[in-house]
Amino acid sequence: MQVLATDVASGPMTVTLGDRSEPAADNPAIFDVDGLNVHYGDFHAVKDVSMGIRKNEITALIGPSGCGKSTVLRCFNRMNDLIEIARVSGSIEYHGVDLYGPEVDPVQVRRHIGMVFQKPNPFPKSIYDNVSFGPKIAGFDGDMDQLVEESLTRAALWDEVKDKLDGSAYALSGGQQQRLCIARAIATSPDVVLMDEPASALDPIATLRIEDLMQGLKEDYSIVIVTHNMQQAARVSDRTAFFTVDVEQTGQRTGVLVEFDETSKIFTNPGEKQTEDYITGRFG
Amino acid sequence: MAARTGAVDTAAIVRQSIEGRRFSPGGAAFEAGLLLMLLVSLGVLVTLLADVITGALPVFRDRGIDFVTSGISLDSSTAGVWTGLLGSVGISVIVAIVAFPLGLGAAVYLEEYAPDTSVTRFIQTNIRNLAGVPSIVYGLLGLAVFVRLVDLIGLGGSDSVGGRNLVAAGITLAVLVLPIVIITASEALRAVPDTIREAGLGVGATRWEVVRHHVLPSAAPGVLTGTVLALARAFGETAPLLVIGVATGFFSAGSAGVFERLTGSYTALPVVVLSWSRQADPVFKENLAPAAILVLLVVLFAANTAAVILRNKYDRKW
Amino acid sequence: MTELRPHFHDELAQLESDLVLMGEQAAEMIEAGVAALVAGDVAAAAAVVERDDVVDDLYLGVHSRWLETMALQTPVAIDLRLMSVILHVNSHLERIADLAVTVGKITQVSDGLPHDPTLVSHIQEMGDIVSTMVRSAMGAFAARDLDGALALPEMDRPVNRLNRNMVREVARLAGDPELLEWGVRMMVVSRTLERAGDNAVDVAEQLAFLLTGEFREFTDASHHD
Repeated sequence: MQVLATDVASGPMTVTLGDRSEPAADNPAIFDVDGLNVHYGDFHAVKDVSMGIRKNEITALIGPSGCGKSTVLRCFNRMNDLIEIARVSGSIEYHGVDLYGPEVDPVQVRRHIGMVFQKPNPFPKSIYDNVSFGPKIAGFDGDMDQLVEESLTRAALWDEVKDKLDGSAYALSGGQQQRLCIARAIATSPDVVLMDEPASALDPIATLRIEDLMQGLKEDYSIVIVTHNMQQAARVSDRTAFFTVDVEQTGQRTGVLVEFDETSKIFTNPGEKQTEDYITGRFG
Repeated sequence: MAARTGAVDTAAIVRQSIEGRRFSPGGAAFEAGLLLMLLVSLGVLVTLLADVITGALPVFRDRGIDFVTSGISLDSSTAGVWTGLLGSVGISVIVAIVAFPLGLGAAVYLEEYAPDTSVTRFIQTNIRNLAGVPSIVYGLLGLAVFVRLVDLIGLGGSDSVGGRNLVAAGITLAVLVLPIVIITASEALRAVPDTIREAGLGVGATRWEVVRHHVLPSAAPGVLTGTVLALARAFGETAPLLVIGVATGFFSAGSAGVFERLTGSYTALPVVVLSWSRQADPVFKENLAPAAILVLLVVLFAANTAAVILRNKYDRKW
Repeated sequence: MTELRPHFHDELAQLESDLVLMGEQAAEMIEAGVAALVAGDVAAAAAVVERDDVVDDLYLGVHSRWLETMALQTPVAIDLRLMSVILHVNSHLERIADLAVTVGKITQVSDGLPHDPTLVSHIQEMGDIVSTMVRSAMGAFAARDLDGALALPEMDRPVNRLNRNMVREVARLAGDPELLEWGVRMMVVSRTLERAGDNAVDVAEQLAFLLTGEFREFTDASHHD
């Protein structure tokens, strides 16, 4: 609870939960989503999503399973292109550029918008090669050793692997592998890192390390994380988007965005009853 | 659990229900039956092997390695497998050169690039069917097409041989094993987890870069093993060669150069076995033929072992 | 709608019902304390003092179960606000009971002293209003009635007014030393009841916070009506 200036003459003290003193004006939107719809063939997976992802913030997407949060995440780096029957309509603007414009190359997009997956998936190669692969194929011709070291340092993994960079990535523990995947994602110098349930396959300590790491990464990258762990979203994110499943008369289950606000507000005084029901466990 | 609650002795009841071996006559009989089947199968193989070895032993005892290094001859005391061995090796090389790139390329396209449509599935089903086609059919194909083709493009041999040479044989057998190469390569590619591809695409690699840097290296052990096994299969094929036209009798390569050897008459090890087993001279039939079979078996055994070693070498747990 | 955390939400309901019990006890203690004072009944006053044990037991019970629920259930949103409110209301009700005890003790100590009927009637009035306020606040809490909560400050005004006038009233009694002594003690009683009233308003304040998510102080010590 923050106390606004206690001016005695101005009347009784009023405090609203979730107040943040920073104004929104100086925090531009990296992604501007407007009327996003995703279909897989005839199946309407996601309906009419509109939201803005802000720079240098951690945005969490939460909701029950089947609500489309992973689908929405994968729209941001055009990974849905890999699914033949997927159709994306509406618009997503990345720094003001239409991400699905005809001239846009998805391969280039993925160099700017990195991704970390649910199950750690390092390449079956050495630790060094894992990190250097992305920059190498992107044509990086600078000091690769330094880039690898920097990426691993930012991912809080350098100290643990600096003496075994040629060792196999698979020799690392689950938590270390995931940090390696983070290092790999940031090696191409993206400005956004998407994380699809990055800690759900990890033990609690490894999970907390990843969460701690995210706070540090936030200074240089904008992060969007999908998580089914509400407490994690509460601990880690600045803003939270709550999705749910809308069941139509036809029986079709479509994902919709219910509420999108500052995390502190969502978890102390959410605006929508659906949001409150979900996070307090009164959800049907 | 040791509580004695008056008249009820828990421990005793539990002991009664969990102790004591239960003998099941059905299970024992089943196990015995399986063992019997194993012994019979092994018995058949052992008998065959023993038969071959007893026949071949005198040859190796009397002539040793000379048997392997001598060429074909009408004289049973000087005939050897060298010509046949050379022919089979030559065929295998051609098979490798033709079938490996074609097969791998087709497999990569089918697994990594082709969309999952009914057409693709139709093609994959039919490749499987082709793998089951009797080898003599490929022989007929070889005779109708490849023999003429080889002659046309100037790789035909001199005199009456025409296109009925090693090159045509190699191409024909390559086509025969092609479905096998495609299938095993496909399986090896499919065994590479999709998470690797996702990871590669996720850092901004094109599909080709993902295949080249991650999928193929990962699938390499499986692909190699499949190719070696395909080659071993080609090594032992006889029927197609007979149809295309392989020398079953005596012929002399003499002082021919490499090109003439490639384009002229040739023979293969299995064919040598066949022709010797038809000779009137009992030495050919009872000793030399088994000896040649033994050489054939040794080569095949070595090939399979090589496949296993290769697989183990490249399949290190990353 | 499915209840996915029945154990947790039952626990919340249990904590609330304990608070309702405490509220009723506190209201009755105020009533009884004032009645004992008006009748000059020392035994009745002693009984009020004894009753505090019941409230203290409830208070400790609520507090320890609150801690456990907080640790084990990580409440959020409305559940979190309810937990905060429960903690505060627990404290306020316990306070009200303690204040009733103070009234009882003063009755015991001023046994035998003369009294002024006007002052006594003022105190009776204050007592009636305060016990009504406690019941009203707790009733609104149980019913989640925002309007009911917002009515509390208004009910508090006469109590404050009566309390302020006490000084002048007691000063009138200056001529008689014993009466004055009694009068001064009655001033303490008046102040005690006024504070009980404030605590009841605080309960209503908490309810408003629960329902709106906004914490607004209903009355500020620095404001005079």
